[in-house]
Amino acid sequence: MGSGVLVQVVLGGLANGAILGLVALGFSLVAGTVRVLHFAHGDIAVAAVFVGVLAMIGRAPIAVALAPLPSVVFVLLVVAAGAALSALVALFVVLPNLAIPGGGRRRAGDAFGWIAGGLGAGLLLREVLGLLLPEQGYAVPDPFRLERLVHGGLVNLPGGVTLPIRAVIVVVIGLGVGLIAERSLVRSRFGSSLRAVADDPEGAALCGVSARRVVMWAFVVAGLLAGLAGVLAAPGRAISVDDGAVLGLEAVAAALLGGVGSLRGALVGGLVVGLVQALAVYALGAGLYDVAPLALLVVLLAVRPPGIRARTA
Amino acid sequence: MIDVAQALWLLVAALGLSLSVSYAGLPMLGQSAFIAVGGYGVALLGPGGVGLPLGVAAAAAVLIAALLGYFTAVGLSRLDGAYLALATWTLAWLVQRILLAYPGVFGGPEGLTRPVPAHLVSRSLGVETVLTTKINLVFAAGICVLVLLAFIRMGKGPGGLDLAVLRESPQLATSLGVAVAARRRAVFTMTAVLGAVSGVGSTVLLGIISPSDVSPLLSLQLFVAVLVGGAARWWGPVLGVALVSVLASVADRLGSVGDVSPERLRGVLTAILLLGVLALRGPLGRLGRTAGRVIQPTRSTLPVPERQVPTLEGPVELSATHVSISYASVPAVDDVSLVLRGGEVHALIGPNGSGKSTLLHVLAGDVVSGEIRVGGRSCRARGVRDRVLAGVVRTPQRSVVLSGLTPAMQVAVGARVGSPSRQAMLRHLFATPRSRVEAERVRAVVGAALRETGLLGVSDTDPVRLTVGEQQLLQVARAIATGASVFLFDEPSAGMTDGERQTLRAVVRGLATAGAAVFIVEHDMRFVGAAADFVSVLDAGRIIASGTPVRVRDDPLVREVYLGSSLDGGAGGTHVEADRP
Repeated sequence: MGSGVLVQVVLGGLANGAILGLVALGFSLVAGTVRVLHFAHGDIAVAAVFVGVLAMIGRAPIAVALAPLPSVVFVLLVVAAGAALSALVALFVVLPNLAIPGGGRRRAGDAFGWIAGGLGAGLLLREVLGLLLPEQGYAVPDPFRLERLVHGGLVNLPGGVTLPIRAVIVVVIGLGVGLIAERSLVRSRFGSSLRAVADDPEGAALCGVSARRVVMWAFVVAGLLAGLAGVLAAPGRAISVDDGAVLGLEAVAAALLGGVGSLRGALVGGLVVGLVQALAVYALGAGLYDVAPLALLVVLLAVRPPGIRARTA
Repeated sequence: MIDVAQALWLLVAALGLSLSVSYAGLPMLGQSAFIAVGGYGVALLGPGGVGLPLGVAAAAAVLIAALLGYFTAVGLSRLDGAYLALATWTLAWLVQRILLAYPGVFGGPEGLTRPVPAHLVSRSLGVETVLTTKINLVFAAGICVLVLLAFIRMGKGPGGLDLAVLRESPQLATSLGVAVAARRRAVFTMTAVLGAVSGVGSTVLLGIISPSDVSPLLSLQLFVAVLVGGAARWWGPVLGVALVSVLASVADRLGSVGDVSPERLRGVLTAILLLGVLALRGPLGRLGRTAGRVIQPTRSTLPVPERQVPTLEGPVELSATHVSISYASVPAVDDVSLVLRGGEVHALIGPNGSGKSTLLHVLAGDVVSGEIRVGGRSCRARGVRDRVLAGVVRTPQRSVVLSGLTPAMQVAVGARVGSPSRQAMLRHLFATPRSRVEAERVRAVVGAALRETGLLGVSDTDPVRLTVGEQQLLQVARAIATGASVFLFDEPSAGMTDGERQTLRAVVRGLATAGAAVFIVEHDMRFVGAAADFVSVLDAGRIIASGTPVRVRDDPLVREVYLGSSLDGGAGGTHVEADRP
């Protein structure tokens, strides 16, 4: 095994990590503003993809190459589905249990409510889609059709190293979108509303910021990013409706590594988790694909227990 | 019959989970992991695996689960609610993925199969029993009944009280001397043990264990089952497991009719049940709320030990020397030295933000630079609980409303600090004579503390209905019940009516007369003048004056920083607004 293989392994890890970073960004955003752990987040990313698959392709577990226009529609559909599902979770599961002006009736807030509610929502998504799509794995079309850019989908580097172009472009898109989202969340008026609500929902309400609306938007943005992450991730390998929960937990590991509430940290954390995963699989076998990031998460929680009092950006 | 036995084993796991979730309020979502340890443990170690006798293998599997549960609890002890849920949920997925990652050991998705019925052999006794379904069912039912009885008994005793206050407010539990971390470890370990027992039982029953039997979905099903019953009611898990079992058979029926996967249908129904239970939790919770059946305070004064009558100059109960604490390099308490004497009410006054509450926190056990001596012994860098056991108790500034516990029960938690009995939980479980004496003592102490604070009339009221002043008096009563020798009261008179202030003054004077040292943060100078023997004034973390109320009131520096120099001599009626964080 030469250095060429290792370069590929690292690149694959980074590509996966960039995707994880997008999911982690949404998780961190919600955890930072709303002080809520978005338990259904990973399921939303995967469910969004399958909503697009059901709409554009149907229930057949075969990859159909989509023409350019349907490809665009597919991407938009998935991203919109992510946002919509996330908004539904916020509306029905999270807001009724929050201690914010315009939130639930319980003044103290009810963590048990949104924890169990988020898990229930994720489970419902998983299992309902599982009824419609019973196969173990689905090959999802690649709307960007990145392989076409270069002959054979591979880039030849000097020294006999070949890189899959897809992975390179996934890293570029993932990090690019992530950074744009991070910058605009930090700079914009919406970003300052987010931080206001994060610091003090009552105070923000007194300044005319609707905490309820800000919470909804945080979930919507998280859902958009999750949908995009799903589009980027899905064509990489056959996915099943059950992959969402573990994807979500891997993203949590990334968010914790970067510091909950830190958006830039989430992107970096994603890359680290992706690398750890790729190297663990490379060194110790494919069985560790999920085991390594999950174990990392448990260890992180034990060693560096996060407080829920994190700040955004 | 197999279905019934299986449901009973599920109930064992649910009962174990309810200990963490309902009784201790820990959102534990990884019970399937411990079931897996039990099930795979017995399959790997027992006949067909390593080949240990079935009983030994079962015991070993449960022991491994207990150790894992204990160390998980230690590892995750610093996590708060939502992150604990996250960590245990991750554990459920991690265990399932590990099972799938090593098919050589765990048999992959097909799992491990073992001969049925299993044989229970004892060479030393020369007995061989065939574990038929019927015998397995009897085992399961027996364990369920034992656990249920233990839970019902526990709910009425000191253990139930500890867990209830832990569930409502861990901080308050610590401040009343409950060993929060140890209780959590014990509860978590017990949950793991019962999970493993359930795994062992159903694996022996079915002769097969596979990753889909211990999927995270099972964790959620058990969580729903426990949630159905709400907080701390033994029949909750019974009802919940019955519901989950019915749903499972409904799913199987529907699956065979509609040609869809019954596993998926189970998942959908579980999700709907979970979301439904959450929506209906309010009404369900009210359904089973019963109050006041645990502790009935006795009205006799007899068994309360009398405190010593103080001498003229009381003994030094607590002394602080050069105590400092700073937050982000801003000193909050700056080189404070003071002495609290038995028989004396010592008031602490000072502007908002001068560090009064922080000083109380430090005296009550927060880590500190400087020296604190309690009853002549140094207490450097000890925790809150050790300070409580040494006889120093603090009431928080904002009253902690424990909505689930009647005033009498809340005071009873405090009363247990003075308990000489170790392992009170176990003693109570087996109703030893000593536990009865202890229960008698607790009732008497509770009665006395409630009477002193004038709360006897509301001892069984829903605490949410108490007035702000009554809440404050209740905090004082909880502290009194601990039998402490040093009381640190953080602005107890905030929000009190005049009548309640009178009561508070009498209580405070009464404690001093009985020999205790009382340190009280107070803004109302009239109250200070009437109740305190000694006053210290804190400004910017430093004590700028101390002495008798009259002397302090006339001190020019104090008048400048606190009382306001425009104030004319004897009025002293300043009531600075209570500081709220």
